[in-house]
Amino acid sequence: MKENTKINWPINILVAIGTLIILFPLYMALTIALKDPQQMSQSLFGLPTKWRFDNFANAIEVTNFFQAFRNSALVTTATVVLTLLTNSMVAYAIGRNMERSKFFKGLYFYFVSAMFIPFPIIMLPIVKLTASLHMTNLVGLTILHTVYALAFNVFVYVGYIRSIPVALEEAATVDGASTWGTFWRIIFPLMAPINATVGILVCLSTYNDFLLPLIIVSDQDMYTLPLVQYIFQGQFNTDYNLAFASYLLAMLPMIVIYLFAQKWIISGVTRGSVK
Amino acid sequence: MRKWGSACLAGLLIILTLAACSGGGNNASGVVELEFFQNKPEAKGSFDKLVAKFNEQHPNIHVSQVNPPDAETVLKTRVVKDDIPDIIGLGATDTYSLLAQSEIFLNLTNDPLLQNIDPKYVQMLTDVTGMQEVTGVPFALNASGVIYNKDIFQKLGLSVPKTWDELIATAKKAKEADVIPFYFTYKDDWQTNLPFNDMGGTLVGIDFYKERRENKTTFQSAYQEVAKKQLELLNYGHSDNFGKNYADGNRAFGNGESAMYIQGSWAISEIRKVNPDINLGFFPLPGSNDEAQNKLTAGVDTLLAISNQTEHPEEAKQFISFLLQPENSQQYIDEQNLFSSVDGVQQKDESVSGLLPYFEQGKIVDFVDHYIPSAVQLNPTVQAFLQNKDINAFLGTLDKEWDKVAARRAS
Amino acid sequence: MSKRMSTYYWMTIPAVLLFFLFLTLPAIQGVYYSFTNYNGFGKTYDFIWFRNYINLFTDNVVGDAYWFTIKFAVVVTIFVNVFSLLIALGLNASIKFRNFFRGIYFLPNILSVLIVGYIFNYLFSNVFTVWGQSLGINALSTNILGNENLAWIGVVIVAVWQSIALNTILYLAGLQTISKDMYEASSLDGAGKWREFWSITFPLIAPFFTINMVLAMKNALMVFDQIVALTNGGPGRATQSISFLIYTGGFEGGEFAYQSANSVIYFIVIAVISILQIRFLQRREMDM
Repeated sequence: MKENTKINWPINILVAIGTLIILFPLYMALTIALKDPQQMSQSLFGLPTKWRFDNFANAIEVTNFFQAFRNSALVTTATVVLTLLTNSMVAYAIGRNMERSKFFKGLYFYFVSAMFIPFPIIMLPIVKLTASLHMTNLVGLTILHTVYALAFNVFVYVGYIRSIPVALEEAATVDGASTWGTFWRIIFPLMAPINATVGILVCLSTYNDFLLPLIIVSDQDMYTLPLVQYIFQGQFNTDYNLAFASYLLAMLPMIVIYLFAQKWIISGVTRGSVK
Repeated sequence: MRKWGSACLAGLLIILTLAACSGGGNNASGVVELEFFQNKPEAKGSFDKLVAKFNEQHPNIHVSQVNPPDAETVLKTRVVKDDIPDIIGLGATDTYSLLAQSEIFLNLTNDPLLQNIDPKYVQMLTDVTGMQEVTGVPFALNASGVIYNKDIFQKLGLSVPKTWDELIATAKKAKEADVIPFYFTYKDDWQTNLPFNDMGGTLVGIDFYKERRENKTTFQSAYQEVAKKQLELLNYGHSDNFGKNYADGNRAFGNGESAMYIQGSWAISEIRKVNPDINLGFFPLPGSNDEAQNKLTAGVDTLLAISNQTEHPEEAKQFISFLLQPENSQQYIDEQNLFSSVDGVQQKDESVSGLLPYFEQGKIVDFVDHYIPSAVQLNPTVQAFLQNKDINAFLGTLDKEWDKVAARRAS
Repeated sequence: MSKRMSTYYWMTIPAVLLFFLFLTLPAIQGVYYSFTNYNGFGKTYDFIWFRNYINLFTDNVVGDAYWFTIKFAVVVTIFVNVFSLLIALGLNASIKFRNFFRGIYFLPNILSVLIVGYIFNYLFSNVFTVWGQSLGINALSTNILGNENLAWIGVVIVAVWQSIALNTILYLAGLQTISKDMYEASSLDGAGKWREFWSITFPLIAPFFTINMVLAMKNALMVFDQIVALTNGGPGRATQSISFLIYTGGFEGGEFAYQSANSVIYFIVIAVISILQIRFLQRREMDM
């Protein structure tokens, strides 16, 4: 199909023009981060005449970038791993039993309905609760992210699990495999595509989350990247060049991952929604 | 299978326990650890220096400064967590009032710490909280008014206006000379309350709020003139008054784009970051044509309070008393362009020299918004008013919101 | 059998307990507080039962926030779906560098909403205004985020710019499930593109339409980060969304109980809209 269809040039050009709208703000961010205030007043849109990497060096130093990056990376990785292992299992038990058991059907709606709970309503009680459990740290943050992910993930996983034929498990059961073993050895590997989707979505939402770390984490050594951007906003609000350098640094890890894993990320998200 | 299941449950419980254990801090060395929480990001560096000096002088005490983003919200969540910092520095705002009324601060009435503090400023705190007890020590003061570019004033032959009519005449002359008279930064709603504060203080005064609490008066009847004059000022702005924010304004004013800038003293250091050589002056916004009535708007920028839960109140007081030493107070206000509450400590920066007579003569009045509950949402209300220019609707909204909030708080 | 079932129970029970502890319990506490006059951190509070709810319904600030949020959500949902469907159709046509373009259109989805908001905030005040001035267009020469009547459009632009990414990819996935044979087999051979779209393409991607409508609507109803980064609810209260009002009123304003009551109502509104939407769109899917 690919080879013998004619290229539709008018549409091709329209699509290309559309990407300019997507890229323009990022282009501006990049050039502002590389200029100094004088260059900005000379030419707002042009490429920098002198590349000022000082802005990045300053931003790294001022925001203690590497520590914040380490914190963000730790929380994101731990949350993704924990979410994939636990949420898939919960969804499996629900997906396989909700047709015949009221209990599991009830659980399904219990988890999924939480998608509609606005975060502000639980914000204050959560602050009290996590403080009394001494969870005002990165571990607490990881646990909360994992637990809150259940609502959406149960919805996504159950849809997928129900599309996997039961015959496979029945065959395994006949061979004497336990439910537990069946899940980890047969079903979990089959869930790789949906795991990729959930993993990507959890990774993005955890990495970019701002409000939960803000209210949970008290120790400044544990601040994540978005929190640090927030401090920056108040502290250096006249220095746009420095601020933009810092924004780019905070977005950079995700953009780098995206550059290398772009196809995989997009197809993961796509496959997940096809269910 | 059951084994696996319980292993899983156990695993989760272990994670929880680990989380629980890694939380608590400890110190075994016999050094008293004190946490000093303050809400001004721009003052972090100055406090760092003072804290380091204190720690050096007091080997048995170790103070660490905490200055999180969005500090007031963080402080409220800390209070919710029952994890109140030992020493707290914040402005004398509605947040302070709410926290003081929740009785989380140590009672400092008649404490020796207040000995060298001007009683005017202590009274500002009790006025804000409406309480008898003194629960904070005023440390630094800020002022609000009009910052002006001395070079532009000289070039246009302008002088510092002393009355409302002179102010408008000055603005007119600048406009005729094609210079932006005032650089308004009304994209940020809190910027719109500055003229409101300045004129509310001189034209209406603080007592209005005591009467308003008792329902003896209304904004509708008392604030007509303030509203009218605030609208008039808008005629002397630039082409995009609602499109520029505080940061834009500091840059524009720093680059000499306007003659005047209605702003607080806190902006001076920001402006100088943009243009270190700028020649600045500062005068109170003259709301009235009666020169004697015009006062400087000045309030407590930072007060120091001690948690009533702290295990080390004596050491906390030692730290506060250290900050109040004239030498240290001087260092702080010099770096931050603020004014000191300590007797005899003076701000010598020439940009604000025009304000000193007001402090000396006590011709100052607090920021009126310190007396307005934050749930009334003064700032967005003023911002909306400046756009739709409907004075009666504006004052009506303030009265209505005030009553609503009062009803909710009382119920 | 019972052994199997017990494994299933063990798989879910720890999660249920944690979920209850960290989500349900706090939500119940929130509802509980909505019947009090608790300010969030004081030592004491009283029960005032339905007073908060009665006050809510007479509070025009709350009403305005609902009006803004719903207006915003409807407009964003429509624009996001129209644009992402168009882009997806373009990407699905026979074009060169399809994967490259697809990669760029999806890029905004991986970026932090807060930071994107900060970037656009700068563009609105310092770049678009410069264009407006040099082109001599008055409407563009001032910052629209500073205009009481137009600020919400600025927030819509940023939300649409970022939300298009995910919805485009989902539509594209839907379009790729349609094989070429479908068009050839249909009796509409030779019919116009327009007709082909409405009679073949659209019905076949109807499930994706449902997902996209619900997703876009739900995200738009929860709008928060964009408001913080772009307008802080202003000018005036012109762009105060419901969740922003709950946050500012509940924390900064110290009216936690009152805003808890607001979030109970908000929860009901979001749940009702989502359920209605799913019901309605699923029925249409069946019809098609």
